[in-house]
Amino acid sequence: MHEASIVRNVFEMLQEAYPDKYKRIIKVQIEAGLLSNIQPILIQNAFEALIVEEPTLASIELEVLLLPIMAHCHTCDKDFEVKRHKFVCECGTPSRNIVQGEELQISRVEFLEN
Amino acid sequence: MSTPSIPKSNRMPVGSVQCDNTTLNLLKANDFVAKAIREKLSDVLVINVCSSPGSGKTTLMQETGKRLSDKLNLAVLVGDPETDRDAVRMKEVGINALQIVTGGMCHIEAQMILQALDHIDLAGVDLLFIENVGNLVCPAAFDLGEDIRVTVLAATEGDDKPKKYPRMFLTSELMVISKADLLPYVPFSVEAVTQDAREVNPTIEVMTISSLKGEGLDEWCNWLLEKVAEKKARLATT
Ligand SMILES: Nc1nc2c(ncn2[C@@H]2O[C@H](COP(=O)(O)OP(=O)(O)OP(=O)(O)O)[C@@H](O)[C@H]2O)c(=O)[nH]1
Ligand SMILES: [Mg+2]
Ligand SMILES: [Zn+2]
Repeated sequence: MHEASIVRNVFEMLQEAYPDKYKRIIKVQIEAGLLSNIQPILIQNAFEALIVEEPTLASIELEVLLLPIMAHCHTCDKDFEVKRHKFVCECGTPSRNIVQGEELQISRVEFLEN
Repeated sequence: MSTPSIPKSNRMPVGSVQCDNTTLNLLKANDFVAKAIREKLSDVLVINVCSSPGSGKTTLMQETGKRLSDKLNLAVLVGDPETDRDAVRMKEVGINALQIVTGGMCHIEAQMILQALDHIDLAGVDLLFIENVGNLVCPAAFDLGEDIRVTVLAATEGDDKPKKYPRMFLTSELMVISKADLLPYVPFSVEAVTQDAREVNPTIEVMTISSLKGEGLDEWCNWLLEKVAEKKARLATT
């Protein structure tokens, strides 16, 4: 799907956020909620393809963390995990109040000290 | 690749490492543009129409245009990976339409809408439809600055889609079951699909229509008129 443009985006964003330290990045962690429809393996493939174009990226490790879907139940006043896309708490209350699962973000960057 | 690749996790760390825990939202750029669209189109009701390819979106737009032409001023932005056929089809029935060719991309991004707004005359327009690229996956993640998202599901696609593509149904206010004239010929349960959709999204509205035979189109048009009126009323009070 659009994994290729996402990976490209990641590095553009890092370049912008860390203009001085960009060249020393050794690891990038991406958090993808299960609702973001991101496939970690496709992210890796897209990254490998980008490395062919930009060989300097080859020293960077890219990790994709998938986050489960969590919603908040008003009745129980607690968060519950949405399994098999059933947005209903175990107490029976339906909820669309999603507290986790839609994110697609860079969550951690590691740099080599110079 | 030229060098045999060593699994990256097996590489030796060299020197000491400095970490930065951060939150750089990869969809932030899109959300930022979507917000700009919302501000720009504060007096137009914008509806993002999503579905699989061929569910009958363009046909529904055509029928809507014919039925509502004397009641409101309608415009359509239609996205397709290639060709301007859908915009041509809509213009043929007198709809103010503009094609967005995504160049193979599987979804429309807010930036494409913002740019398209410079090429379509929206003076006096009450209702702007965005016909998204046929795809139930990727468009779900991209806010286009719409007020309402509608998912069209054709009777011929099978009644198992809400659970397979939950994010789309989760973010939609209305599910339109299209091609209802074919219901007698295909194994598709409106009741089962409604139940599944409501397990994903308890507040989703459901409507059954046939653009070919006209069934349900009055209900659809009345729903649109109501939503346009609601937005106008909201605007008047702010
Ligand atoms: N039987 C029946 N066929 C329909 C109906 N609405 C549309 N179709 C047919 O379904 C096919 C696809 O319709 P379109 O309106 O082009 O569908 P679309 O969703 O715009 O397609 P894409 O933009 O390519 O994703 C056409 O052959 C239409 O004639 C309907 O209510 N009943
Ligand atoms: Mg179409
Ligand atoms: Zn509960």
